[in-house]
Amino acid sequence: MPGLGTSFGRGGATTFVQDLVNSDCILIEGSNFAECHPVAFRFVMEAKERGAKIIHVDPRFTRTSAVADVYAPIRSGSDIVFLGALINWLLANERYFREYVVAFTNASYIVREEFQDTEDLDGMFSGFIDPDEQTSDGLDRSSVASMGNDPQKAPPGTYDTSSWQFETDEVPRFDGNGTVKVPKRDETLAHPRCVINIMRRHFARYTPEMVEEACGTPRETFLEVANLLADNSGRERTTAFAYAVGWTQHTVGVQYIRTASILQLLLGNIGRPGGGIMALRGHANIQGATDIPTLYDTMPGYLPMPSALRNEQTLAEYLKSATKPTGWWANTPKYVVSLLKAYYGEQATKENDFAFEYLPQISGDHSTLPTQVAMKDGEIKGYFVIGMNPAASGFNAELARAAMDRLEWMVNIDAYETETASFWRREGVDPTTIGTEVFFLPASTILEKEGTMVNTNRLLQWHDKAVDAPGDTRSDLYLFHQLGLRLKALYADSTDPKDRGIQAMTWDYPHEDPHERALGEPSARKVLMEINGYRVEPGKPGYDCPQVAAFTELADDGSTAAGGWIYSGVYPDKQTNRARNRKGDDWTSLDWGFAWPANRRMLYNRASADPDGKPWSQRKTYMQWDVQQKKWTGPDIPDFPATKSPHEPAKAGASGVDAHSGADPFIMQLDGLGALFVPGQLKDGPLPVHYEPMESVVANPLYGQQSNPTLREWDRDDNPYNGRENPAYPYVLTTYRLTEQSGIMTRYVPWLAELQPSLFAEIDPDLAVEKSIRNGDWVTISTALGAIEARALVSGRMKPLRIGKGKDRRLIHQIGVPYNYGSLGYATGDSIGNLIPLALDPNVSIHEAKTLSCTIRVGRRTSGLNERIDAAVPADQVTDFGASRPHGRDEAPV
Amino acid sequence: MNELRDLSPDASARGASAGNGVLAPLPETYYDRPLLKKPHWEWEVITYLFLGGIMGGSGLLIAITDEKKDPELSRNLRYFTFALAATCPLILVKHLGRPERFLHMLRIFKWRSAMSMGVWGLIAFSAPVTAGAIGQAARDGLIPRWLRWLHPRPLTDPLTAVLGAFIGSYTGVLLSATALPLWGIGKRHIPTFSACSGIAGACAANSLILALTGGSEASIKKLERFELVASLAELALLLDFKRHAGSIGDPMFAGARGAKLRRNTEIGGIILPALFTLLPIHARWKTVVSSALTLIGGYVLRETLIEAGKNSADDPRAASRQPE
Amino acid sequence: MASGFFTDTTLCIGCKACEVACKQWNELPADGFAFTGDSYDNTGALGGTTWRHVAFIESTPDAAGAPPTMNRWVMMSDVCKHCTNAGCMEACPTGAIIRNEFEDVFIQPDVCNGCGYCVPSCPFGVVDLIDHQVIKPRFASDGRTNDNALQSHGGVAGKCTLCYDRQKVGLVPACAKACPTDSIQFGDVDELKARARKRVETLQARGVDASLYGVDEKTSVGDLNAFFLLTGPPAAYNLPERPVLPSTRQPAGYASAALAVAGLAMIGLAIFRRESA
Repeated sequence: MPGLGTSFGRGGATTFVQDLVNSDCILIEGSNFAECHPVAFRFVMEAKERGAKIIHVDPRFTRTSAVADVYAPIRSGSDIVFLGALINWLLANERYFREYVVAFTNASYIVREEFQDTEDLDGMFSGFIDPDEQTSDGLDRSSVASMGNDPQKAPPGTYDTSSWQFETDEVPRFDGNGTVKVPKRDETLAHPRCVINIMRRHFARYTPEMVEEACGTPRETFLEVANLLADNSGRERTTAFAYAVGWTQHTVGVQYIRTASILQLLLGNIGRPGGGIMALRGHANIQGATDIPTLYDTMPGYLPMPSALRNEQTLAEYLKSATKPTGWWANTPKYVVSLLKAYYGEQATKENDFAFEYLPQISGDHSTLPTQVAMKDGEIKGYFVIGMNPAASGFNAELARAAMDRLEWMVNIDAYETETASFWRREGVDPTTIGTEVFFLPASTILEKEGTMVNTNRLLQWHDKAVDAPGDTRSDLYLFHQLGLRLKALYADSTDPKDRGIQAMTWDYPHEDPHERALGEPSARKVLMEINGYRVEPGKPGYDCPQVAAFTELADDGSTAAGGWIYSGVYPDKQTNRARNRKGDDWTSLDWGFAWPANRRMLYNRASADPDGKPWSQRKTYMQWDVQQKKWTGPDIPDFPATKSPHEPAKAGASGVDAHSGADPFIMQLDGLGALFVPGQLKDGPLPVHYEPMESVVANPLYGQQSNPTLREWDRDDNPYNGRENPAYPYVLTTYRLTEQSGIMTRYVPWLAELQPSLFAEIDPDLAVEKSIRNGDWVTISTALGAIEARALVSGRMKPLRIGKGKDRRLIHQIGVPYNYGSLGYATGDSIGNLIPLALDPNVSIHEAKTLSCTIRVGRRTSGLNERIDAAVPADQVTDFGASRPHGRDEAPV
Repeated sequence: MNELRDLSPDASARGASAGNGVLAPLPETYYDRPLLKKPHWEWEVITYLFLGGIMGGSGLLIAITDEKKDPELSRNLRYFTFALAATCPLILVKHLGRPERFLHMLRIFKWRSAMSMGVWGLIAFSAPVTAGAIGQAARDGLIPRWLRWLHPRPLTDPLTAVLGAFIGSYTGVLLSATALPLWGIGKRHIPTFSACSGIAGACAANSLILALTGGSEASIKKLERFELVASLAELALLLDFKRHAGSIGDPMFAGARGAKLRRNTEIGGIILPALFTLLPIHARWKTVVSSALTLIGGYVLRETLIEAGKNSADDPRAASRQPE
Repeated sequence: MASGFFTDTTLCIGCKACEVACKQWNELPADGFAFTGDSYDNTGALGGTTWRHVAFIESTPDAAGAPPTMNRWVMMSDVCKHCTNAGCMEACPTGAIIRNEFEDVFIQPDVCNGCGYCVPSCPFGVVDLIDHQVIKPRFASDGRTNDNALQSHGGVAGKCTLCYDRQKVGLVPACAKACPTDSIQFGDVDELKARARKRVETLQARGVDASLYGVDEKTSVGDLNAFFLLTGPPAAYNLPERPVLPSTRQPAGYASAALAVAGLAMIGLAIFRRESA
């Protein structure tokens, strides 16, 4: 998410899948599009029929590769080399879309002289704070949640980003009241420290030869891909990228996305029909789950969660750091106040700071994996596990299970009795030794409840309830609503200030249908209406107040309330639920569902027109400036102020989007431009760098710095790492998902279970011969963490790759194992999570699951779940329990 | 982009992509999986084929034998054929997936379906056969004598012969009118040697009965002679079938099954009884042994035919170009 | 108007939505949970309770001594061919198998008595008897069994109905509906054939070795209402190169047998009647 967010302004796919039919070329990498998004893949197939070239870059030859025009094999975990080499090739051969880049990106910005690149520091940037240095105030800063940048407070093991900033000029404010600082530019792109030249130098070692050496991809194939991308970008043609967790589940996951974002900006594809970056999100409502979030560090609509580490005791202090002076986020106060009004209703008033202090504040990284570790160490007493199954599909799954053993209580809300719900009676465990009280609350499936789903197109679609759920089963909405009601009752007489939030929260959503009321189900419609927002009328509940039609109507004075500002417009009046719309057409289908923001289907679509407001070409027309009507017209809603002329000059020092000119398409960014160079919001660098994964089988061929210096790891004996280039674990292990399975849901469906009934491992024929493995044999795959058994699927689709150069050139084998199994259901298998130790990307705490190392032998797993071939890290070498330790500079392998 | 690429070990190890190489040819079969489905025919069908063949042969014998010359034989034949005609349908009903719906066979008459024809043929056959048994029983005094008028011999005997011939051969047609390569390629051979085997079996069964009940030597000799002719015809057809089928015939003629066929049918069931008949030994025990061998041979022939046919369904190469 | 399927294997992504949609619509049970190791095909073939089956064919180039290099993975959704001259229909003695008003071959499950003759009579190995199968969940200690609607169909023959029940109310068959890439196209057979011929031309112009299987055929089976576009020899897809309508072999069989029996009868008459007692 922040990969896209820092580059373009929003952390979401920039386009919609239907638009892929307009692509002239589609690069699919870090994704197995056909297998994991088969329905969306129809648009790729349609594009192919219209002549588009489909490129698939992947460690495995998959069902996507089978229909691609070009398949490029790659060593798992080396994509930044591949993508970086594409950047280098474009720059060196002047094949980038220069007019677009100069006008719409920060290519011309000049970086401060103090900046030192990875070329200067052998894989590091300037400003790294050595973890061995102590902080002066003694505060534990090892887990910082904020994505904001405060150089004075950079903790050890992270970067002080002050040297990454741009040089500035002082220019007079637009209203004559003094001056304001703006970044210095060289639009001729000649300055040695302008962004594009820094990039030339930064990516210079990412050559086609390096691709062959580091990725194992043949040079000819790489050049074929480079030419296809360049030939299909520019005024007349566009290329789209599609990616998924093959790119994000790495300790440099966010930088993978950054590299792709840079590429697409250089190629001039963002905001253009058939272009963009299609981030393919996982399940049908994962987008919704981050919009109205289940993330610990954001509030609905990607507002930052108040943080105790940023000294935000009052609303004003919070707004000071959350609000940006320019760009659309200048409107932040309107959204925050409206949210507080939605939460606390009449109890939120101007006088009490709109009840801001009722909100809890985060004090560290409470994301799921560090929490799991804390749970294992006995720090967490209770656990709500909802629609999630860490005991089977978690990372370091054994730690997850052991963690559950230490809870006092667990509430499991699910439609199935999962491995998590039954953790206390799993293989190898004596239930009488586990003290956890486990509550299982059966939850409705999608057909048994009403509500919305928000898919990878940012599209809200309403679904009605089809049948009542059996017995006591209820919707998640019911369960949480009931929890709230009962907590309110329990806390009704409390005088403790920390309970005021529960006491004050507005919690009435009476269902319109008497049958649903009788079941106790609250009205999802009313919840959506509140999320949309309304004009506050004293004495009336929210659902009786008039709806707002758009987030532009939200105010910061308490006159409006909105539970999720990005969705405003979905319920513009009481009769209209736009999430129910079902009128589709061949392209943007504006009357099918409602996309956020404001029903825009393609983001940044201002960029589909040149700085003068005319389409870049007839063939690639999307939005354009209508001189007569003085507004932006086209098949979509403009992602731009509708009536702002392309020739409108930027108002230096103005707030919000007024600070941007009419030719600055990225309205969420401070400067309205796409960011090739990100001067500080990402913890691991302003530019992407190839770092090897935590468990790599090779030394970093590009730099001395082996892995991401800011990645997060846990050095403890229940989370051992294989270490780098460990000869005991010489094979690359990559994980993936199957079309036929998801998890517990599908393992209980006989028709799906029979399609892929068993955990299997895909092995190349050479390795099979070497290890005496025949197709169909049981094999055991081990890491320092654990072992799993699987059936061998020996296939030429897996191929060994030649890595390295000169006398170090050698064959690397990659083994692929799918993720979808657990001990319950008709189709069962070991959990591959048993092999994956916790190592996280520093920006979003996502785990590294796509590149590991392992060893393999023929035969079934001989012992319990934790057969270990080598001894684990001895207990006396373990340092901090629970807290993650910053990775620091490269250390000797274990 | 189909130009040949360098497929030296190093180049291949680097991994050719789908878009720039010679497209690999597809394998010859689909994991060597069967292309056809084999019938779910077990001992019931094998037994029916065996008994049905004998039943048909007996029907033919009824018309061929002269009541005046071989009264015992003639009498036996009528009861024997009736007994088989009463039992065979029960075996068939049992093997149905839904036995309670056996009457559904009578919903249509489809001459292009060998099984439909077989059902109607069985029914048609059982009419004169039953009449014959009734007539015989009446003449034997077991039931009121007037019932013999239900058996007009000039009418029923020819019917019994023709329908018997059908019964003895239609099962072979039924097998070859399937997709299974072994049976398909035997479209002329299988019905014919089945008929011959049925006739031989009928002769063997009835000479066995006569031998065990102290019946006429003369009748036994005639039966043995007729059996010899039919068996030799059967053997000739079997061997020609083997030649004609070539490798498609392997499930039947090669390996352990082929050896069993040779042992029990070709040698044990045809040649040995032939020798017995030709050699100048006259003893009851010779008839008993010889007939038993022929009957065993007949059963093994049907068993081999069915099992080998099912086996041939497993061979996708044989099933790909089906015999006309 | 004859309805049928045009299955274009060049559009298939092997997602198996067709296989699942068919099972779900027809309430067919799973056939067992067995890992085959045959690429991603763990269901193996069409059968009495599998009426759509996706085949996966991996192939490697012939380079002696070199590690196998993948450059082809072909996928195809197989189904009953609903032949113009259907072997199963010829064989059926109860009249259970009929050609319905959409000119598709349909087994009436209430008429079939499970004689099983259709099973070996299909030149494509499609139809089979439905086993009285009960699937026991592996974990349930209470021995809970999985009851399927088709329990009542035990013992009778089963195959694709071309969603006769859906067609009757104007719906598209479940597999065609579910297919995300329109690899399975449903409609009037003549229209589909016209579309398919054009598609073959388009693909051949791109250098793809495309051909139609089941269109303009000169075999005794005739054209297939459910026909395919393939990019390799049929045998690789487990389809016969030359299918034959088995019932056409009967006249030769009857004639040969009749001749032999007639001859034997003559000899028999001589043996039994010409000699004196």
